Amino acid sequence: MSVRAFRATPFSYATLIVVSAVLSVPLVFVVSIALSSDQTVNANTFTILPREFHWENFTRVFSTELPMQRFLLNSVIISLGAVVGQVLSSGLVGYAFARLRAPGKNALFLIVIATMMIPAQITMIPQFILFKELGWVNTFLPLIVPNFFSNAFNVFLVRQFVSRLPSEIDEAAMVDGLGFFGIYRRIMLPMLAPVLIAIGIFTLTATWGDFMGPLIYLNDESKMPLALGVQYITSTSQALQAPPWNLVMVGSILLTLPMILVYYLGQKYLYEMDISGGSAGVK
Amino acid sequence: MSKLSKLRRREALWFYLFASPWIIGFVVFLLGPMIASVYFSLTDWDSFTPPKWVGLDNYRRLLTDDPVFWKALWNTFYYAAISVPLGLVLGLWLANLLNKQVRMRKLFRTLIYLPTLVPLVATAMIFKMVLAPSGPLNDLLGVVGIPGPSWLLDSMWVKPALILLSVWGAGGATVLLLAAMKGIPRELYEAAEVDGASSLRQFWSITVPQLTPIIFFNLIMGLIGAFQVFSQVYILTKGGPNNASQTMVPLLFNEAFSFYHLGYASALSWLLFAVIMVFTLIAFRSARRWVFYETEVR
Repeated sequence: MSVRAFRATPFSYATLIVVSAVLSVPLVFVVSIALSSDQTVNANTFTILPREFHWENFTRVFSTELPMQRFLLNSVIISLGAVVGQVLSSGLVGYAFARLRAPGKNALFLIVIATMMIPAQITMIPQFILFKELGWVNTFLPLIVPNFFSNAFNVFLVRQFVSRLPSEIDEAAMVDGLGFFGIYRRIMLPMLAPVLIAIGIFTLTATWGDFMGPLIYLNDESKMPLALGVQYITSTSQALQAPPWNLVMVGSILLTLPMILVYYLGQKYLYEMDISGGSAGVK
Repeated sequence: MSKLSKLRRREALWFYLFASPWIIGFVVFLLGPMIASVYFSLTDWDSFTPPKWVGLDNYRRLLTDDPVFWKALWNTFYYAAISVPLGLVLGLWLANLLNKQVRMRKLFRTLIYLPTLVPLVATAMIFKMVLAPSGPLNDLLGVVGIPGPSWLLDSMWVKPALILLSVWGAGGATVLLLAAMKGIPRELYEAAEVDGASSLRQFWSITVPQLTPIIFFNLIMGLIGAFQVFSQVYILTKGGPNNASQTMVPLLFNEAFSFYHLGYASALSWLLFAVIMVFTLIAFRSARRWVFYETEVR
């Protein structure tokens, strides 16, 4: 039965085409700037659609005095460190909350949920003092180490995921004489792959794009990840000389492409997780 | 019996062992800092000299003596109150269009979702250029005969500019709402069709009520996120011109890390927390009136 609500009218198409086009303008414009010559940058005569195609900007960006390779490498190190930390710790903690029985567990889980409501700004200053005392300022450690202690949202995800798995599996393993760690390591871990991959993706995208964390902790140009580095280039250019916008936009594209790739490769895990997360598209 | 309890004890021990990363992290990175933050907020402290106890003076100064705080609070309200509902309405509208039997749906969905994959720093860089006085947005406005303002440099237009940036990411809500729309039972629409309901009527009487739980969830998450807006403000305007775009978190960041007013900034963070809590509670209160749950008997 054909239902009116699902019937596409010419007006539906017109709207979709106009909206998609308008939303794409900034992306096309970025590519256009990234492919511009230095003359165009200095004259500030960019066009929405690319008129010149200086693809060499994408290789040139690595051979200027801007430490773009360094930025990229730093981003990779920080993000991978954070992902490893979250995946290792969240799986273990989430499994414990889902399966193991212990006095005080339910109260503890309520605390886990409650901590999700505390905005990061509350702990930002004391954490900074803590890391300063430890001598960790201007190192990657403040951005990586806390991830090895999992976080409430990820613990919650793993716990929900494990709760849906049949408990006969670990009971059988128990009868076979496998200890709790053995059960986790050999039985649970392989089954947790989808949720751990989803957590890996969340952590990767959050860390890769994080701006405030590096801004607080990293002052040396050589320590900056790409997200901070791109901004740093535009903020330190001389007033007389415009920032090299073509190279900045190449940097922005380098910052974006891995996110598109990760989303493309990972979307089936994300949909499997049935995440209702996300923030209404409000950045 | 004793064997069982021994087993139970062993299990409890393993629980605490497995949960220890979170427990340690909670104490070291959350509970400890929270307590410290309460204390800092009651002191005058620059991190170099010992903190000086001032009681509630930081809070008093913020609330009665600091015009920038009130301006930042108002700007944050303004930003949240417009960007979040606007993003949701746009998301709902687009999701409804994509839920129709349109050709090339995947292409449209991808184009609408793509902006949400761009990291915020890159988004800010892009909008710095898009919103430039002679940038593409004003070019497009010029085509239809509207002289565009100088967005980020104009104290009247800087907040709308930031809202525009946030609305560019409406695809996030679109995709979530679209997924939820797919879950609405088709029979509801077929019954309405038999009754002769128009497509608009079907949208308002079936689609929207069925989606209210997910709209509500997005509203809460969106509000919390909007109250904490930081990167785009810091990168694009630094709060200017004349504090017209100063919001709570950039203000807090400046007080803490530019001026080293750590006590003052800590007090500010607790006020931010209070504001977020109040609005979350109001949203939950209002939910009883407009959020529809399947299992509810009315």
